[in-house]
Amino acid sequence: MSTPTPGTSITVFLNGRPIQTVEGRTILQVAREHGVHIPTLCFHEGLAPYGACRLCMVEIVRGQSRQLVASCTHPCVDGLVVLTDTPAVQRSRRITAELLLATARHVPAIRELAAQLGAGEPRFTLPEDACILCGLCVRACAEIVGVRAISLVNRGAEKRVSPPFRIASNDCIRCGTCVLVCPTGALTLADIAGPPTTRHRSESQYEAPACQLCGQAWNDLPTGTGRSQQAVQAQTGSGAR
Amino acid sequence: MTRLASAPDLAALREMLTARHEPGRPSIAICGGTGCRAKGSEEVAGAFAEKLARLGLSAQVTLSSTGCHGFCERGPVVVLRPQGVFYQSVRVGDVPEIVSETLLANRLVERLLYTDPVSGRRVAFEHDVPFYRRQHRVVLDLNGLIDPTSILDYVARGGYAALARALCELTPEQVIAEVTAAGLRGRGGAGFPTGQKWRLCREASGHPKYIVCNADEGDPGAYMDRSLMEGNPHRVLEGMIIGAYAIGASRGFVYIRNEYPLAVRHVAHAIEQARAYGLLGDDILGTGFGFSIEVRLGGGAFVCGEETALMASIEGRPGEPRPRPPFPAQSGLWGKPTNINNVETWANVPLIVTRGAAWFKGLGSEASGGTKIFSLVGKVNNTGLVEVPIGTPLGEIIFDIGGGIRGGKALKAAQLGVPSGGCIPSEHLNVPVDYDTLKSLGAIMGSGGLVVCDEDTCMVDLARFFLRFTQEESCGKCLPCRIGTRAMLETLERICTGRGREGDIEYLEELGGEIKRSALCGLGQTAPNPVLTSIRYFRSEYEAHIRDRRCPAGVCEALVRAPCQNACPAEMDVPGYVSLVGEGRFEEALALMLETNPFPSVCGRVCNHPCEAKCRRAQLDEPVAIRQLKRFVAGQGLRRPIASAPGRDGPRVAIIGAGPAGLTCAFFLARLGYRPTVFEKLPVAGGMLAVGIPEYRLPKAVLREEIEHIAALGVEIRTNTPIGDGIRPADLLQEGYRALFVATGAHQSRRLAIPGEGLRGVVPATDLLRAVSLGEPLPAVAGARVAVIGGGNAAVDAARTALRLGAREVTLLYRRSRADMPALPEEIEAALAEGVVIQELASPVAIIGGNGIVHGIECQRMRPGPFDRTGRRQPVPDPEVRFTLATDLVIAAIGQAPDLSPLLTDLGVERRPDGTIEADADGRTSVPGVFAGGDAVTGPATVIEAIAAGRRAAIAIHRYLQGDGASLWEPVRPAPAAFDPEAEPVPYGRCRAEELPAVERCRGFAEVEASLGAEAAQREARRCLRCDFRDRG
Repeated sequence: MSTPTPGTSITVFLNGRPIQTVEGRTILQVAREHGVHIPTLCFHEGLAPYGACRLCMVEIVRGQSRQLVASCTHPCVDGLVVLTDTPAVQRSRRITAELLLATARHVPAIRELAAQLGAGEPRFTLPEDACILCGLCVRACAEIVGVRAISLVNRGAEKRVSPPFRIASNDCIRCGTCVLVCPTGALTLADIAGPPTTRHRSESQYEAPACQLCGQAWNDLPTGTGRSQQAVQAQTGSGAR
Repeated sequence: MTRLASAPDLAALREMLTARHEPGRPSIAICGGTGCRAKGSEEVAGAFAEKLARLGLSAQVTLSSTGCHGFCERGPVVVLRPQGVFYQSVRVGDVPEIVSETLLANRLVERLLYTDPVSGRRVAFEHDVPFYRRQHRVVLDLNGLIDPTSILDYVARGGYAALARALCELTPEQVIAEVTAAGLRGRGGAGFPTGQKWRLCREASGHPKYIVCNADEGDPGAYMDRSLMEGNPHRVLEGMIIGAYAIGASRGFVYIRNEYPLAVRHVAHAIEQARAYGLLGDDILGTGFGFSIEVRLGGGAFVCGEETALMASIEGRPGEPRPRPPFPAQSGLWGKPTNINNVETWANVPLIVTRGAAWFKGLGSEASGGTKIFSLVGKVNNTGLVEVPIGTPLGEIIFDIGGGIRGGKALKAAQLGVPSGGCIPSEHLNVPVDYDTLKSLGAIMGSGGLVVCDEDTCMVDLARFFLRFTQEESCGKCLPCRIGTRAMLETLERICTGRGREGDIEYLEELGGEIKRSALCGLGQTAPNPVLTSIRYFRSEYEAHIRDRRCPAGVCEALVRAPCQNACPAEMDVPGYVSLVGEGRFEEALALMLETNPFPSVCGRVCNHPCEAKCRRAQLDEPVAIRQLKRFVAGQGLRRPIASAPGRDGPRVAIIGAGPAGLTCAFFLARLGYRPTVFEKLPVAGGMLAVGIPEYRLPKAVLREEIEHIAALGVEIRTNTPIGDGIRPADLLQEGYRALFVATGAHQSRRLAIPGEGLRGVVPATDLLRAVSLGEPLPAVAGARVAVIGGGNAAVDAARTALRLGAREVTLLYRRSRADMPALPEEIEAALAEGVVIQELASPVAIIGGNGIVHGIECQRMRPGPFDRTGRRQPVPDPEVRFTLATDLVIAAIGQAPDLSPLLTDLGVERRPDGTIEADADGRTSVPGVFAGGDAVTGPATVIEAIAAGRRAAIAIHRYLQGDGASLWEPVRPAPAAFDPEAEPVPYGRCRAEELPAVERCRGFAEVEASLGAEAAQREARRCLRCDFRDRG
């Protein structure tokens, strides 16, 4: 293990095929560039890799030893040997998909993915919940929109997507990016466009920031998609302080 | 206080402190660790200060509050030097006596001394306490000596000399080379080579560089790092400063969980002192090297001990791990090269620099240098902090240092690296505790938590406990850990509550394996370990929960009515009959016993009573005398005829062997309406009860009476009727017997296989006991010197019988230690009282004789060697010592085996390599219609196990003949005895039955033990805590 130097030209072996690439690119990037399919859920090209869903596991080979790694985060180094479709990889993805079905079995996209990966009926179930905590919405809000209106709160089984303190955040500019990136439909337009009782909005004295993409702040949005800050305050009775 | 501007300044300070030191000066060191503080050590220290002041001795005596001494079990701990007198469990009220007796008059206060639970001896000096004597304390060495709030105490004992040497004499590369050569590996658990880690960080590009001390110790029951920080914080800091110099770091962090207030205080104080002395800050010791350390408090999330989560927490973000690579050495805190080591790793560094890599490497094992601190907890006599060289066998830690298992129970397993590690069963006690060996057994070294589990621990329940912990501490980021561990936990919950299903074990294995391979961080990757290792080593315990809805250890509440009943192989309703005795309802109590056991009088005398071993009353004082209560009830002459099932004129069933298994099977078959015939080779019925157990333990008349009750149900017993050559078993099946139960026992004595075994004066114990029972001709015992070889019940029975036959002297030779003898402890005690001499650790190698007569027996002296697969120390020959015991008669009692060759060839029943019959728990053999049970299946075992096997076989035969749905007999269900759950348990202890005095009982075969009287029995029964009681509200 030596300190990597991003940008150096290297060769990796993808399912036996030698491929020229540069150090620092992830296995997933290289695989996609060369038409090798690796399933993903929490990965999005516009966002930093997160490594949470564990569906993109691939095997890397070092001498006699083999190890499963997440291809979305594992960087390529010279001589890296990667296998993307071994029995161990298939088994790992199948089990992970089965665990996804434990909560999101009613989501068509998840059912389809699980079927592709060969997962059968889940042997363990939890109450249905479309949110699989891939974090795409939270990361998109922070990294693309630059707003951080929502975040992941609590730990472990209690983990949820929520605005701060579970009070709808006025930081939300209702750009809809979170809804767009959500792979399971757990977030809907109603969550951001509805009345202020929904999870995304509440009163705030702070100026709403502008969307980094379109430059519009939420209260500049066309009529019908939002209310003025004063209207929100009037309705909640909090008034100006 | 002056700032030290150079290494010579530091040396001068040390010299000055050393010169001031008076070697003979009396001192009192009071442990100020968290454990002792919780037990009141601060008040004890206050009382000493006050007492010394009142006597005007404050100036002559040094009083110090030190760091943790490690023996927290015995706190508060006080050590008086220079003598090194060790007092334990000291209270404020003991202080005046310690001062007046020990300090002023140099006399010991006996009651405050430590008593060794193994030898029972009182120990006066710290260095003689076995808990300390077998340790090798190099990291913890100063913990009990110095005041952790005084940098001068540390400097006086050589503190910061390693730093001076590193900064002034070594280059950073040389420091790294030294640490690498020492073979130091990360003490946090994963065991990555420390030198290599440092080199990677040093070579990484990026500036500034950081170092971190991981003090987020979160394993349940582990507190090694806390004690180091509380007791010797400067050593940790010194290690960090040396590391920073080697790596080229300018800033360091100590990440401590906020639950460790004393550690936080001592480390923060030490940082202030070091800065004031110029050992931290700019231009340390005038070398130009600058480094600063800050304390960062953790909120107590277990996952923050994972290095990437810890760094996130230091940066002010939620403590969530991120994937590696990049490793912290490349991109750590704020994206800069960072080196993280655990507290104990840092504390080892000054030792390596001062004493050299070769010394350090020599301490440990081949692959890993130095020592490891464990926090030894659980069911072990001495709990506390233990420092041993890496590679020390696990058994030595548990038995030599830990003093063995509490309450004389058996060790079941040790859980290492809790909760991320695995369990190691007692058959691997000899493994060296070392990173690589532990990994090969499925456990990990972990940060040093070592939980000892005894026979009363349910491994399924324990796995559930640890998984619940890791599941609650999962950060929830990655799917395998968040949902996978939850799936595992819920599966375990089902198994523990009697809702397990076939396939659950395989599901746990499959899921656990995948979580290990695919989880994001170390927490998830190790979370399945307790489950996977307990399945690996205790699979049958999982199967018992799932298939039989039984918790063999008696822990899982939903599966256990009461621990006594759970422990009884025959599942006798112990709380039921004990509570009926308490109300004086003796007849109902007897009827309840007969539901599961037709031999209450026999068992009331000779049962090994596993029920009493599990009795929860023992946690208050002593177990309820269950066996005695059974004997009392059975002896009241209340036995009434039992009606057999009406309306069946009974298929016939043949039973071979009239021992406890065969007769019990016959008893229950008769109650189910069958007509059993029992064939017995010997002239009497009863099997080993009749010809193996001596009259003084079980009078023949008592046995005969119980057998008559069985016969009265319509059981035909044909004695003097061997099955084999004359009547063949296959003939029986053709003669109209619909099923066959083989219960021929294990009467064949194993051979000694030593020279001289063929001499006339060498007799198997079974032969001697049988001859005495049947009145057959005996070898000449009267006046003889007798040697008995063996340590089981047969050996003790033979020895006591020989005494009663008039032997001049009886010596019992046993190759292991006396504590390892399988015979019942009360039998061993009785034998000793009667004058039997036990020679432990003596292994016969030859019997000497001439003209067919024995003269003596040559023995090899043994000593306890390494632990073997039975979890006991294997006896190894002491090459120097052999001795000859003059003897006229040798009785061999080294085990028995079934002898059933002619019988079974005919039936075609499968047998195991040791000659026993292959049969399942219900007695089914490989041949339909042929059942087997008792010693013939299990090898020599207990009476109650044979009885249980007989009853299970009777039910299995009934189902075989009548179908699975066949109903059993009408059970007896007495109205439960009253119980007030609010009432306090009765305050008195266990009653004792009267016994004949030893001299008197040696004169003949009169029964040794008497029965309890009615009043005593009722009184004793009321000691029962009624664990069977369930609050319906």
